[in-house]
Amino acid sequence: MNQQGAITDTFVKKVFAHLDNTDVNKLGDFLSLFQSGSAKIILNSQPFGDPTQFLTLWQQQVVATQHTVQSVDFHLIPGSGMVVCNVTAKVRFDESGRDKAGVDATIRDANGSGATPRRGAGNHTPRTQWGPYFGISLQLVLNESIYRNSFQGCINAFNYSIVYKPSDTLMQV
Amino acid sequence: MLQRGFHNANNVQAAALAQQQQGRVRVRVQNWTNASLQDLLNFLSRNARVAIQDAQVEGALAVGYVGSREQADALRKWNGVRFAGDNLKIEIVDTGSGNAGTSNTVQFLRSVLVRRYNSENRMLDLGGVVNDQEVAQSGMFSNVARQSKLLPALLKVASREAQFIVLSVNLADNNLRDTAQIADLWQVFPLLQNLCLANNSLSRFQLLSSWRNKFTNLKELLMVNNPLAKDPNYKSEMLMLFPKLVVLDNVIVRDETKLKSVYSFPAAKQPFFCESTDLTQLSTDFLSYFLNLWDNNREQLLGMYSPQSQFSVSVDTSIPPSTVDGADQNPSFGYYLPVSRNCTKVSTPKLLQERLSIGFEAIGAAFQSIPKTKHSLLESPTDYSMEVLAFPQVSGFTVTLHGEFQETDKPLADTINKQVNKKSYVGRNKKYGNNTTNKRLSKKSFDRTWVIIPVNNSMVIASDLLSIRAYVNPSWKPDVALPTGPQSLAQPPVQAGAAAATVPMPAAIPTVTQPIGAGPQQGATPIPGPPLGPAGVPQLAPTLQLPSDVQSKLNPVQLELLNKLHLETKLNAEYTYMLADQSGWDYQLASTTFQQSIPNLPQNAFVL
Repeated sequence: MNQQGAITDTFVKKVFAHLDNTDVNKLGDFLSLFQSGSAKIILNSQPFGDPTQFLTLWQQQVVATQHTVQSVDFHLIPGSGMVVCNVTAKVRFDESGRDKAGVDATIRDANGSGATPRRGAGNHTPRTQWGPYFGISLQLVLNESIYRNSFQGCINAFNYSIVYKPSDTLMQV
Repeated sequence: MLQRGFHNANNVQAAALAQQQQGRVRVRVQNWTNASLQDLLNFLSRNARVAIQDAQVEGALAVGYVGSREQADALRKWNGVRFAGDNLKIEIVDTGSGNAGTSNTVQFLRSVLVRRYNSENRMLDLGGVVNDQEVAQSGMFSNVARQSKLLPALLKVASREAQFIVLSVNLADNNLRDTAQIADLWQVFPLLQNLCLANNSLSRFQLLSSWRNKFTNLKELLMVNNPLAKDPNYKSEMLMLFPKLVVLDNVIVRDETKLKSVYSFPAAKQPFFCESTDLTQLSTDFLSYFLNLWDNNREQLLGMYSPQSQFSVSVDTSIPPSTVDGADQNPSFGYYLPVSRNCTKVSTPKLLQERLSIGFEAIGAAFQSIPKTKHSLLESPTDYSMEVLAFPQVSGFTVTLHGEFQETDKPLADTINKQVNKKSYVGRNKKYGNNTTNKRLSKKSFDRTWVIIPVNNSMVIASDLLSIRAYVNPSWKPDVALPTGPQSLAQPPVQAGAAAATVPMPAAIPTVTQPIGAGPQQGATPIPGPPLGPAGVPQLAPTLQLPSDVQSKLNPVQLELLNKLHLETKLNAEYTYMLADQSGWDYQLASTTFQQSIPNLPQNAFVL
């Protein structure tokens, strides 16, 4: 009971860490957090059929992100076994022009040179170029089992909104 | 202005006039009235050897122009000279850069721009403008020092002409050795997609470094016949400078589809989502009722809370980037911080418990401890965004509202506490409290989530979570500064995917531009607008005959805009489309452009 605040905060950070993760192999872990079949996912007021669909889109169509939690508040709703969380965060996107897999849009020359930036070529992992911060509001409906260290399928609803955007970003949102 | 021809007589006259009047200085003479104006002019012409042109009598003054600054100075030496029994008083009214000269230069530059702007392909052709015959004839930019000011001056003038929607600029053949003269290009034409700098003498990459990440829409660049185009790093440097460059010197350097997918977020924030239609009415009714009382009489709201209901406030003190429109860079949270239940900042379980209000009594007290507010949901619904989801575990629903409010007065409880605590806290208040800057009333942004359980004919609020943050213009508001192109209006891919899946999440409400908070009178009735045909496609006026291939590429919002413009302007389909397209599908801009170009439109542009 006493640690609920800290646990909620940690759990929210865990969710954002999953969103920021670029490793395809970790997607399964993230997926297991959502209640299978009936989790509701809303992204910028647009609903998703199921978590897999959302995570696929997030992996393939959103560049690398970096979320920072700013505020977390929560209420246990008596008799429902559910926790409602209201979260604000900020997020920035990798504006280097590369997707999560490190692939950019540049068309290579026949000899493979010229197009690659001077550094970051070869086997090195290309460095991310973080753009300016966007504002995020996130509402979660979680199973109170998270306070018993059980996270399997605990996310019942996930409502993610971008609430402000900087004008100097390269991203079209 | 649409298509002002090269041979337009007005332009030639204006240019001739500009040339003649360039550099004139206005002068004023007093104490001459013992003789005639002609006598005065003859006297000055004879003695000072300066001719005053266009002289006029204005009361006791003789006002006119001399040809140059030098002449004006020469004339002023005769200030105080004896003429017709009095001492003349000669004054220079405006200096060399005075109004007459400047406005004529502006007028001339404007005529150059109009002549070189092609509205059809939105291109400003400044190729070889430094060697332009008309410019040379004007004599305004004759010597080298002045020549270097031509391009900056042209850009300056262009920046004030809102009707130039420039997507392409040609600056070839302008003897450019560096980019200093055109450094502001990205500010003047923020939408620029194509830029030609061919046949100049640009030699170093540093010259362009101030443009890094500035031309965020630049798709095509032509730099052939510049020394730097021969540099081995040329291509990679250009790719780094211009993140969205696709074509460099007529060669495709980036895959445009990939580029788009990398730089776009797959779903734009829509103002409204509701999981099912029956919740739409309930939630809008609830919101207008709740916010009205929240602003005017919070006590009355307590009837909606039960002994188990919970309320808390959490403060997000982060300061949004200054590049967010309207962002408050100096927010004050003084009233909220003492009650903030932000778990990332407050870790003691005891404090967290204290700052959670349970039951209407505690909630009522908490309501009085935060400032009085004014929400403008009814007046400006576009400032708000709402999501409504069913919450089956409590047989209820959650409403999340994002938006803003104005703080109108300090909290009720603030005055009470002050009186009670006055004595014991005097010393402390001097140091920490009573700080007017952190308790300044201002506009705030917020996100608030209610868990609502309908009971019989009323609603009980089980949970009420309010988060307060610095004021910003919200992301879902349409961008006014930059008209959005058809690209960004296209339906995001999410839609199709979501609709195809068979899931218990019906997208009950079209997510396009549904206003919220229409109030209980109107409830969730859609905005009055053009009648919608089947599948949400607006019915077009019979006189608006779009070719089917064009029509099929347009989304309902665009079709609706076309229809509206068509009915309003009586332009035919082709011109309506051109107008909409050239205005970036921005209704306001289209309307203004139309008003400005009426005189230049051919008869056949209109529906007869």
